Amino acid sequence: MAEQANAAREPSSEEAEERIPIMQHVLENPFLLLFFGVAIPTVFYIIWGIMEIVTIPVAK
Amino acid sequence: MSAILPPSQRIWWKQPLDRVELTWILIAFLWALILFFMMPYWHVFGKQNLSNEAYRISAESFQKMAQEMADKYTVRTETDQQIPVVHPPSGSDVYLIARLWAWWPILELENGQSYRLHLSAMDYQHGFSLQPSNINLQLVPGYEMVVTVAPNKSGSYSVVCNEYCGIGHSTMVGRLYVVDKK
Repeated sequence: MAEQANAAREPSSEEAEERIPIMQHVLENPFLLLFFGVAIPTVFYIIWGIMEIVTIPVAK
Repeated sequence: MSAILPPSQRIWWKQPLDRVELTWILIAFLWALILFFMMPYWHVFGKQNLSNEAYRISAESFQKMAQEMADKYTVRTETDQQIPVVHPPSGSDVYLIARLWAWWPILELENGQSYRLHLSAMDYQHGFSLQPSNINLQLVPGYEMVVTVAPNKSGSYSVVCNEYCGIGHSTMVGRLYVVDKK
């Protein structure tokens, strides 16, 4: 693993080149992905759906 | 957090996409777009998933309104169950009840006129399906669905229940007449 890391590393200062793109951070984080996978459908389907249902007006 | 097996390059985000993977992604994305836009398309051109009004109402109140309409505008009765045929005035609110396992009453509407059709279920979920016009609405107890209908073809229509509601569901077929304005 050390050899792989060395091969990928830039010859110049490593710290400056190591800025990992934000999207890569997101896709590498399985628990963040799990959170979005549950939260986004819950908000758009369940919460929005319940909001629509409770605001149905009473018949005159 | 790192992956279980780290990638060969620490920053893989900028790695160019393989052509096969790009093709796969584009085909899947295109299909997802087709499925998504089928929804508004079928609402407009298939005339399904109607934008009906919905109101909360109790079964008793709705039944009372339907009974009042029937009391005022019944013209005759039909079938062995003596279901009243109701001929309400054009432009008015007309009521149709779905209950286990019948549609009540039989509405007689006029061709070329418009009505506010109120629909509700008394007990369980029922499906209102006017055939052959294929106007479909789900009916749920505790709510009334209101659609503005304007019959444009006289004749005899079937009101079929298209949501399973128990042992008598297959027999839950009613009638609706459209007659020419006298």
